[in-house]
Amino acid sequence: MELGNVFGNLALGLSVAVSLTNLFWCFAGTVIGTAIGVLPGVGPVATLALLLPITYHLTPEGALIMLAGIYYGAQYGGSTTAILVNLPGESSAVVTCLDGYQMARQGRAGPALAIAALGSFFAGCVATLVITLAAPPLTKVAQQFAAADYFSLMVLGLVFAIVLARGSVIKALGMIFIGMLLGLVGTDVNTGNTRFTFGISYLFDGIGFVPLAMGVFGIAEIISNLTSTERRDLASAKISGLMPSREDLKQSIGPVLRGTALGSFLGLLPGGGATLSSFSAYTLEKKLSRNPEKFGKGAIEGVAAPESANNAASQTSFIPMLTLGIPSNAVMALMIGGMMIHGIIPGPQVMEQKPGLVWGLIVSMWIGNLMLIILNLPLISIWVRMLLVPYRLLAVAILFFCCIGTYSLNNSAEEILFIAFFGVVGYLFIRLNCEPAPLLLGFILGPLMEVYMRRAMLLSRGDPMVFFQRPLSVTFLILAALLLLIVIAPNIRKKREVAFQE
Amino acid sequence: MKRRDFLKLSAAAVATGAVSGQASAQAASWPNRPVKLIIPYAPGGASDIIGRPWADALSQAFGQSFIIENRGGAAGMIGVEAASKAAPDGYTFLMTPSAAMSVLPLLRKTPYDPRTSFVPVSRIGDSIAGFVIHPSVGPKTLQDTVAYAKQNPGKIVYGSAGLGSIQHMRIEMLKYRAGVDILHVPYRGAADALNDLLPGNIHMMCEINPLPHVKAGRLHLLSINAPERSPEFPDAPTLTECGYPNSDLPSWYAVWAPKGTPNDIVEKLHAKITEITGTDAMKSKLRQISASPRSSTIAEMAQFLDNDMKNNEDLIKNANIKLE
Repeated sequence: MELGNVFGNLALGLSVAVSLTNLFWCFAGTVIGTAIGVLPGVGPVATLALLLPITYHLTPEGALIMLAGIYYGAQYGGSTTAILVNLPGESSAVVTCLDGYQMARQGRAGPALAIAALGSFFAGCVATLVITLAAPPLTKVAQQFAAADYFSLMVLGLVFAIVLARGSVIKALGMIFIGMLLGLVGTDVNTGNTRFTFGISYLFDGIGFVPLAMGVFGIAEIISNLTSTERRDLASAKISGLMPSREDLKQSIGPVLRGTALGSFLGLLPGGGATLSSFSAYTLEKKLSRNPEKFGKGAIEGVAAPESANNAASQTSFIPMLTLGIPSNAVMALMIGGMMIHGIIPGPQVMEQKPGLVWGLIVSMWIGNLMLIILNLPLISIWVRMLLVPYRLLAVAILFFCCIGTYSLNNSAEEILFIAFFGVVGYLFIRLNCEPAPLLLGFILGPLMEVYMRRAMLLSRGDPMVFFQRPLSVTFLILAALLLLIVIAPNIRKKREVAFQE
Repeated sequence: MKRRDFLKLSAAAVATGAVSGQASAQAASWPNRPVKLIIPYAPGGASDIIGRPWADALSQAFGQSFIIENRGGAAGMIGVEAASKAAPDGYTFLMTPSAAMSVLPLLRKTPYDPRTSFVPVSRIGDSIAGFVIHPSVGPKTLQDTVAYAKQNPGKIVYGSAGLGSIQHMRIEMLKYRAGVDILHVPYRGAADALNDLLPGNIHMMCEINPLPHVKAGRLHLLSINAPERSPEFPDAPTLTECGYPNSDLPSWYAVWAPKGTPNDIVEKLHAKITEITGTDAMKSKLRQISASPRSSTIAEMAQFLDNDMKNNEDLIKNANIKLE
């Protein structure tokens, strides 16, 4: 794309995005997004679905700008509950829980929230630039991925899951497999067979991510907090400063940059790409870090990297939608619904026929990110003060919001039963020192892996060599093998050392 | 006639009169509170997008809000079941594409029977799609595609939105009627399939979402899936024109009432929907989303469902389609 063209497009986008009404919708979207991100369980999918009929009466530009604002606003807000009360509302917030919640427990909720917001802002700005400059060529790159390549990428992702664990590798492996088994529940795409559904039609689509994640993280944490006789306030240590220190910022620069790069790329890939971004950013930092033992105990890098990655990914996931009309996740599918309500058929023609809409949306993302940072930084002190609410009250409030949020997903009470069930299961995991993060990654990636593997095998007429013949696929597999070796090697060495000591 | 019997009879007569009087009074004041339209699929999907303008138009026409409730899951089964069990008081209706009614119950044990659990209210539109093919394969017409598939059995790959979807039925129909071998790959939704179609990882689809790419010249449209040609794609022949008569059944959308809903209310809603279908505003709104307005009387609709189910039943038997 020519540079002059870029400026022309940006100028056009700016003229659309800074109109008073569109600024208002952008602000409304980011405020709503932050609010629903903070409320556990109420995700952007449910909110967008709820607001879709309202957008019917707006201009298409206003509608899309607001819906988009809700989406990336929720990514900002989602980190808040993950950090404060260990509740991941979205798959991308799972890793933020790991170190963010530990930081909060050490009285460092303020810096954690601030670095999440700053990292997200930076990532959002970069990703917006990426969309502006390189949307069409990046679309071509994303299209290079065929089923076999996705499968190998998921294999690599699962190896990442092992690295996530703090403790024993064996337990992490076990949790990944339990996660994959839970992911098997539901209707088999290729044969229509229903697996482990016990004839309950609610289970035909599998177990929902939200009830599982809320149960094993949030509810289990509440049970565990209530059973311990120690001081129950979340911030057990004294709250030390709201803003990150110079040292914190210095430690975060690298992770934010790498997380942004990783997220910008993975966000392009439909079907699980964006989910992988926060996990892989975390893993990368843990591997690069000079003291990886800090991770999981409140390392600021463990918040900065995944938060930047998931915000970058949430913005670049607009690219396949804008250039091809292909939604890369459920939220994008709703955005497409929002376009169709206004009679705009998503597809390659949208960029040419509605440049005002497309560029207005892109510029509004940058404005929205700016609004979010202005909105979120002052809010931090309020959030942190929330931790001073007596835990017996806070616990009830969290449970209450979890139930409402989860019910709103499908208007079904079964979801709430599942939260309760997984809460108990999660408590057992805590007692057994098994970590839930690898379980969730297994749960997300397992079924995707299965679908991609079987699709690749169908397309290759049953020839497994397809995984080794495609350059992308074989690269991912080699990387996975290498990473696995790196993970296992210290364990072997340690055992040796133990043997020598005896 | 004994006196007692006479009394009973007259009491019954009074009672019936009262009941029917009550029913018409009910219909006259209907709707006096919001009406729920259950769509058995997720928000943002095709059925939702067709449903929204209808909910809007009906709300305005009746001065009461018609609210869409998305109850997705299990290929539509959960939402349809919920509608079948709703109180038949005229305040809950089902709004669904044909798959959940005329395909799913033939492949799976469903907790509802489309013929007896519901009363037809009205058709609200047909979704217009057609077979598309990726240019890398070569053929540009349906005849050439069939000839190519005959020479290269199993080489063409077709992607559908999932097993038991209308699009799955379409390709099985073509395979069976033309006697060709085309590999069917089920996806989780049409978006995933389109993502593999554009780079040519798969070759054929029959959905709405590739149509913009046909207009952009990246895919060939082989046929149109409707009884008559589409004004949007006047060059694409119908399947009847291609030599496959009685296979032009589109994916059709309709409103159903839970069995037992008062007849007057059903008639009242039916009349209003028919009226709205005729308006230019609704016609253009539907055309924008690749649907064509279609109305039919209540009796025609019951007949239509019956025909559609029989067609699908034959196809499922002949093509040996199974969900294990």
